[in-house]
Amino acid sequence: MKSGKLGAWLAMVLGVAYFVAPLIATFEFSLRMRRGEYSFDAYRVVLASGTFRDSFLYSTVLALVTIIVGILVVVPTAYWVQLRLPKLRGLVEFITLLPLVIPAIVLVFGYIKLYGSSSILPLTATSLGADALLMFGYVGLGLPYMYRSVDTALRAIDVRTLTEAAESQGAGISTILLHVILPNIRSGILSGAFLTFAIVIGEFTFASLLDRPAFGPYLQLIGANRAYEPSALAIIAFALTWACMGVIQLFGSGVRISVGKR
Amino acid sequence: MTTVATPATRALRFPNLAAWLGVAPFFIFAVMFLILPTTSLLVGAFQNHEGGFTLSNLARLWQPSIRNSYLISIEVSVASAFLGAVIGLALAIAALRGGLPGWVRPTLMTFSGVASNFAGVPLAFAFMATLGRLGFVTVLLRSVGLDIYAAGFNLFTFTGLTLTYLYFQIPLMVLVIAPAIDGLKAEWSEAAEILGAGRLQYWRMIVMPILWPSVLGASLLLFANAFGAIATAYALTGSFLNIVPILLYAQIRGDVLHDPNLGYALALGMLLITGLSNVAYLWLRARSDRWLK
Amino acid sequence: MSKVTLQQRMKLFASMAAMALAVGAAPALAAPPDDLVAAAKKEGQLTVIALPRDWCGYGALIDSFKAKYGLAVNELNPDGGSGDEVEAIKANKDNKGPQAPDVIDVGLSFGPSAKKDGLLAPYKVSTWDSIPDSAKDADGYWVGDYYGVLSFAVNADIVKTVPTDWSDLLKPEYKSSVALAGDPRTSNQATMGVYAAGLSTGEADAAKAAAKGLDFFADLNKKGNFVPAIGKAASIAQGSTPILVFWDYNALAARDGLKGNPKVDVVVPKSGVVAGVYVQAISAYAPHPNAAKLWLEHLYSDEGQLGWLKGYCHPIRFNNLVENKKVPAELLNALPPAEGYAKAKFPTLDEQAAAKDVIAKQWDTVVGATVAK
Repeated sequence: MKSGKLGAWLAMVLGVAYFVAPLIATFEFSLRMRRGEYSFDAYRVVLASGTFRDSFLYSTVLALVTIIVGILVVVPTAYWVQLRLPKLRGLVEFITLLPLVIPAIVLVFGYIKLYGSSSILPLTATSLGADALLMFGYVGLGLPYMYRSVDTALRAIDVRTLTEAAESQGAGISTILLHVILPNIRSGILSGAFLTFAIVIGEFTFASLLDRPAFGPYLQLIGANRAYEPSALAIIAFALTWACMGVIQLFGSGVRISVGKR
Repeated sequence: MTTVATPATRALRFPNLAAWLGVAPFFIFAVMFLILPTTSLLVGAFQNHEGGFTLSNLARLWQPSIRNSYLISIEVSVASAFLGAVIGLALAIAALRGGLPGWVRPTLMTFSGVASNFAGVPLAFAFMATLGRLGFVTVLLRSVGLDIYAAGFNLFTFTGLTLTYLYFQIPLMVLVIAPAIDGLKAEWSEAAEILGAGRLQYWRMIVMPILWPSVLGASLLLFANAFGAIATAYALTGSFLNIVPILLYAQIRGDVLHDPNLGYALALGMLLITGLSNVAYLWLRARSDRWLK
Repeated sequence: MSKVTLQQRMKLFASMAAMALAVGAAPALAAPPDDLVAAAKKEGQLTVIALPRDWCGYGALIDSFKAKYGLAVNELNPDGGSGDEVEAIKANKDNKGPQAPDVIDVGLSFGPSAKKDGLLAPYKVSTWDSIPDSAKDADGYWVGDYYGVLSFAVNADIVKTVPTDWSDLLKPEYKSSVALAGDPRTSNQATMGVYAAGLSTGEADAAKAAAKGLDFFADLNKKGNFVPAIGKAASIAQGSTPILVFWDYNALAARDGLKGNPKVDVVVPKSGVVAGVYVQAISAYAPHPNAAKLWLEHLYSDEGQLGWLKGYCHPIRFNNLVENKKVPAELLNALPPAEGYAKAKFPTLDEQAAAKDVIAKQWDTVVGATVAK
């Protein structure tokens, strides 16, 4: 298998080169704030702001809530569609693709119209309501990725056998989903969680038009007419988001119950 | 079946009821936060400026300039989806099955998570800073005698835009196909080896058919992802490449054209194309399922 | 920046009165009526939209408003365009939450169209009479707030010979250098840039000038001088768009923001100088109408107008302020030389519409369409 390993290393090296080059370019540019020499001035300016910490915290918490709600919405659906309702698959998959092609501005204006202060469900009128509305919007934005990842993971395990085996032991649905299915689709859930997290941290349109103090609008504010600060901010945001994902990864690793030998 | 009829097991005796209840939250969510908000605005595709019913917006979609923009959108999306799928699959297989050290996998997964959303102005700028006329890599190559711009390369073209799109398409593929690759049981490769299959045969005859539906589904996701993407394209080749989201943007948000009804009609067109590609995907899935059985 | 005396500047701006200004010599009222202030304070907040903090010194104006009257200000979507603002009013018709904009700041052509759609509420500020007639709606539905002219923001570290006019841009030394700050099909700034290029050829009719402008950019593109990216301060500094067609106030703000790193020259072209007017209006569905009126009073007071001038935007009451000697000398001197503004063309609503029509519709076929694979 030597040639296999060489091929794998080659692929990784090429991949790393492609992905790291733009990051290096951005980083190099962000260091140029002081004329003629490299310095971390741009970073100092960005990090000095208190809004940075507050808005990042807000978005992080919102992201975590979005991930949990997303899992609750997606996992049972993908499970039941695969197990018992295969005819619904086309419809469900089409719905999960909608958030990708509907412009964000159309969605958020739709929210304001439907859940504005004079409607039956006046979510925009209160701070918590607007937060909830934003969260639901984000669950929607993450839906394509969460669904596709979970669905792929479910396909890789034998859902039918696992369910029947668990049933024969007397397990109820919630037990099956929570203790049998969920641990086996861990990698799919993690993928979906990563993608959702990244979306929420950087998202701008929803947060800005719903008037919420998220990280996206803050990024915009800093980036608007500056040169070096936006690059510094991009690098910082990238690093911070990556760190958060590392934490989620650690949480999600735990004990892996797999059906086959690795 | 047990003889004790607890509520849980009773539900399992009427499995389809449980199934319908199980998918209900999804549909309620979809209706409340996806379908209703969208239709409440997209109904504007059928309205004229005063609010009366009209089909003229849809008719205008057939103009050569708009038809052309749909075509270009589809081309960019297909190109970045195809390349993203192929390269992403290769990277995922390399990282997960290539016998590499244990830290490669979590690093690749978490990095892909971040990179998948690195788009819009920061990404466009990053690529300008890398491959623009005074870009970091351009200058580097020029110092060793390779002038890519003299050779005809230009970042602000279809090729450049596709290259930029790959930055978030490849990680998306990696993340979404990883669970499927994880599902490849070790027994299969061992059994194949015992039966005398070469590495290539193993991949071609055992792995690809199994992975195929997931690869197809992921590719569809990549296509829709690129199709709806606007921020990166606008920032990089904004006034040049005529993709549909930019046109839409121009009608709904811009300072100049501002015909929101046409904008909504454009959005409707995009939904239609996404729907059609979904149908194509389902058809391909059905065919490959039949073949697998 | 040449040191022009107050008198010279006054002479030049007096000549701009040729565009049919009815400049009242009435001094500005000192402060807004007390009951308005009280009503606004009761509302407690103001929601604005599409106001970047670096644009025309809006950041400082918003902060001074907050400090003076103790109101909170919700700043929505600073990245938005005029279309966004109008759509936001429409979407929030029934919503009284902080997502509904109270006031908008939009391109000139959006004023009359929004009024026609019933989206605006009329209000005449106390300094109404000192605002030129051509820059306000007779019934008070919208009022011009500031203007600037299109200029070139040039990265002087990269560009050795700074261009002085539109025709210079076609020279071979400016390969891959010239960019617009927006998409001519969506952005007012970019469209006016194309129009200005056409005007510099000497063509006066709006539609014909627009067509000439398109030809200019097609030529620029063919010669390889045009960069199709959307230019910003960052891309000027990085070098991918070292010559950017930018409103003068944006260019000057970028120059200041970059603090000499790189050195940025702001050049008003010798010909084809186009001025763009923006207008302020109150939403008919504003949840905080009194706060909105107070905001307008703040903007049109001497203090507010000078705030815009600090952001390099020429406030609409500029002539009135200059006549009453309210403008500090150092502010005047920080602006580009006044001669550039003397030739500025203020396109009328009809001319703008005609130019936009030609440019937005034909940009693709004349300049862009064929996708360079």
